[in-house]
Amino acid sequence: MSVFRRISNLFVRSRVEREIEAELKSHVEMRIEDNVAGGMSPQEARRDALLRFGNRTAIQELVAGEDAALVLENIWRDIRLAFRQLRKSPSFTITAIVTLALGIGANTATFSVVDAVMLRPLPYDHPNQLVDVVSLNRRFPDGEGGSLSYPDYLDMRSGNHTLSNLVSYHDNSYTLTGDGGPVHVDAQVVSWDLLPALGVRPELGRGFAHEDEKAGTRVILISHALWMSQFGGDASVVGRTVRLSGDSFQIIGVMPSSFRFPVTAPKTGMWTTLAVDDVPTDSMFKQRGAHFLNAIGRMKPGVTVAEANQDATAIAANLARQYPKTNIRHDAARVRSELSALVGNTRTALMIVLGAVALVLLIACGNIANLLLARMRERQREIAMRVALGAGRNRIVRQLLIESLTLSAIGGIAGCALAFASTPVMLSLIGDRVPRAADAGVDLRVLAFVAGVSCLSGLIFGIAPAISGSKTDLVSVLKEGGRTEIASRDWLRSGLVVGQVALGLVLASAAGLLITSFLHLRSTDEGFNPSHLLTFLFETPDSRYKETRPQFYREYFEKVRAMHGVDSAAGVMIMPMTDDSADISFEDPEHPAPEGQRAGANVTLITSDYFRTMQIPFLQGRDFSDQDTADSPQVMIVDQAFAQKYFPGENVVGKRLKPGAGNGGEPAWREIVGVVGSVRLSATQREMRPVMYLPSSQLSHWCCLHTVLRTSVEPLSLEPDARQVVASMDKEIPVTDVRTMQDLVFGELAQPRFAMVLLGIFAGLAVLLSVIGLYGVMMYSISRRTREIGIRMALGARRGKVLCGVMREAGVLLAVGVAIGVVASLLSTSVLKTMLYGTGARNPAVLALVTAIAAVTGMIAAFLPARRAASVDPMQALRTD
Amino acid sequence: MAKNDLQGALDLLVLKTLAQAGSLHGYGIVLHVQRASDDLLRVEEGSLYPALHRMEQAGWIRSEWALTETNRKAKYYELTSPGRKQLEQAELSFEQLVRGVRAVLRYA
Repeated sequence: MSVFRRISNLFVRSRVEREIEAELKSHVEMRIEDNVAGGMSPQEARRDALLRFGNRTAIQELVAGEDAALVLENIWRDIRLAFRQLRKSPSFTITAIVTLALGIGANTATFSVVDAVMLRPLPYDHPNQLVDVVSLNRRFPDGEGGSLSYPDYLDMRSGNHTLSNLVSYHDNSYTLTGDGGPVHVDAQVVSWDLLPALGVRPELGRGFAHEDEKAGTRVILISHALWMSQFGGDASVVGRTVRLSGDSFQIIGVMPSSFRFPVTAPKTGMWTTLAVDDVPTDSMFKQRGAHFLNAIGRMKPGVTVAEANQDATAIAANLARQYPKTNIRHDAARVRSELSALVGNTRTALMIVLGAVALVLLIACGNIANLLLARMRERQREIAMRVALGAGRNRIVRQLLIESLTLSAIGGIAGCALAFASTPVMLSLIGDRVPRAADAGVDLRVLAFVAGVSCLSGLIFGIAPAISGSKTDLVSVLKEGGRTEIASRDWLRSGLVVGQVALGLVLASAAGLLITSFLHLRSTDEGFNPSHLLTFLFETPDSRYKETRPQFYREYFEKVRAMHGVDSAAGVMIMPMTDDSADISFEDPEHPAPEGQRAGANVTLITSDYFRTMQIPFLQGRDFSDQDTADSPQVMIVDQAFAQKYFPGENVVGKRLKPGAGNGGEPAWREIVGVVGSVRLSATQREMRPVMYLPSSQLSHWCCLHTVLRTSVEPLSLEPDARQVVASMDKEIPVTDVRTMQDLVFGELAQPRFAMVLLGIFAGLAVLLSVIGLYGVMMYSISRRTREIGIRMALGARRGKVLCGVMREAGVLLAVGVAIGVVASLLSTSVLKTMLYGTGARNPAVLALVTAIAAVTGMIAAFLPARRAASVDPMQALRTD
Repeated sequence: MAKNDLQGALDLLVLKTLAQAGSLHGYGIVLHVQRASDDLLRVEEGSLYPALHRMEQAGWIRSEWALTETNRKAKYYELTSPGRKQLEQAELSFEQLVRGVRAVLRYA
């Protein structure tokens, strides 16, 4: 048969069927004619012909089966049959579809996030050649990895043989002043070959040229968004000169709207070259010890990540030998694919959530399988009829599987709609801390995922009922009026429930651990009081304030403190709860060490009154004051963690140290004048880190303090007044990052909260579904045994006894499930380790609580069927068949 | 004998019948086999039609609706050239099978 005919057969099924029928009919009639011609009566002739022919329907099915094209045809017929079947029992259908829609929808929404964050390639040319390069201390090969210093970067770039480009970059921000008010713009300072390395071109104008990296050149590329918002999309913007933080820059090009670099900083508005860095960092370009550059490289064709890693490690080891003073702690390097570096530790959280939601779907499939198995009993007669009419076992399995797949397809469509609706909710839960998550949405890949998951779940919940249904024994069913039951089906159903309870328990204990951990994070003392604190930032550009910063801030804080509703105000360079930190080493005459091996600590600059404003307890000594100026003795304050780590059991007040922070020249010796309580710099840190506080009034070259206001009114209500105060000091300074401290803490907890909430929801669903599963199995078991229970009661069994019997049966299922679940939890929750704070992966209290909840809810679910069994009316039961 | 060989025998009978008669409908094939074998062989309708359709799928035979002598519409089958080759092979292997079985039966 030609392919064309096969395909056309699909659309004219009836024609092929009619043909077969006509062929068989003509055969029978020719036989009748011959019989009549042979002398039989017409009736006799017909009878004989039909008898000889046998079951025409069965033969017709067999013939159709040989017609390959008809296989697809039959599937289509089966699908229509499936729809009829599903319409016949709406309550079952709706339950199954809602369950599936929830399960598939949750999986789809989660997958769309996983896809956007982890699976989609980076939006650059040949993204798998791009690598992230960090420096490393060989003694801590699994450490986080650090940035490169400029001299190290240059040596790394010229010395390697595996990379065609090595681009360094770091973030910065500028104040753009022009026709409108001043605007704060996030920027990236990059090496000139960024665009060729990424394989991207500007939408307008040109990219950077090699000459643009020479010191003193001030050229910028602007983002499409900035072009639109600040320059109205005017094409003549290329070549125009603009003022950025007091300096003139020339715009040489506009980047396409899809361009983002780095992907983790989607709000970046402009890119400039390393040549134009601010003056204070000038000296940083010469210091081999100043690690502030990120690096992204492109591997030459054919080079593997391992080879590039080996190459970079060898260079780092060489540099450590050449410059032991600065490089002893950077004697190794790590090259990773840019994508995996970007995803980082988010991967664990996402994979756990995806795993959890997959388990929920599995449990949901268990429930539907159970419902289908129960329905099999009612459908036994129907199936037996089909078998009697000549349907083979494969045919029955196929028909039943098609019913399941039809169900899962409908569930998949509904789930997809649900995912579409719920992705925004999910994104708001994730917050903006997960790179690229904001790109999540339902696209072709996600649709393919939905199709795959729907099919798979249809097979998962359909296969056992289909096989069990096809085993229907024709004779016994028809003989006994459909009251036989295949015992293995009960085993299947019980097994499913046990599995569901176990999986539900695993999820619930994981969620329990995350909740415990989150509560721990929430209740851990930050070391300061985050309520009623308003924070914001503005820049004081070096071009105008390099020498006069201390006076500027003194005047400014006087004005701010005078604002209505402000209790106290202070400035701080690195704000807690922002994921920022700066680490510098210090010289300690009591514990001399060669440069490069000195102890270090977090450092931040503050104004006086900072500790009072933040309500950080003062343990010893004094605060900074207006008397601490550039000309007075240099001072510093340390925190408790610092004192305990470096001077245990000693009085640190009065000690003299030299932290490596200066005003351009040699850093000064500083006397420790006070000790304060330790503060959590990040909401998710596991231990307090040593911190050194330096007075901003003695380090005028260091830019930019965040303002912290302790208010007696709603903090955000002070925003207009604060903006006004800043504008009154300098109308070219925009105020940015206006937030309450509580918002910052909230943002820091975004990832643990996201994991906890989602896993909590999924665990709740899982427990609910498995309890419903148990309820269903018990209910079914009771309804099947109504007659038996009736007889037992008629013979004098007490109701209490019947009730106990049913409860015992449910209890056994529950106990086995819980036992397996407890063991599985103990084995599996260690994957959560990196996400837990203040609790281990094996927390007996959590496990006990979860087990108790599962047991109690399970027994409640069993009680209803048990009560129903105990209330069976013996007479009624005996009358039912 | 395995089930496959029985089916092989049916295919062989149908192909040979069509080779001898040129073009026949299903009922004609049944009659022909019955007559040609002196009533020793009877083709079951229940296996004939699936076999015809299967062989048509395989491209060994082709079919056409036509009128019988009694002006009845019937589906006529005839051999194709792949069908002829198939017939040659089937005859050959059947001869071998018969010789083999006979040899075993005669063995003393």
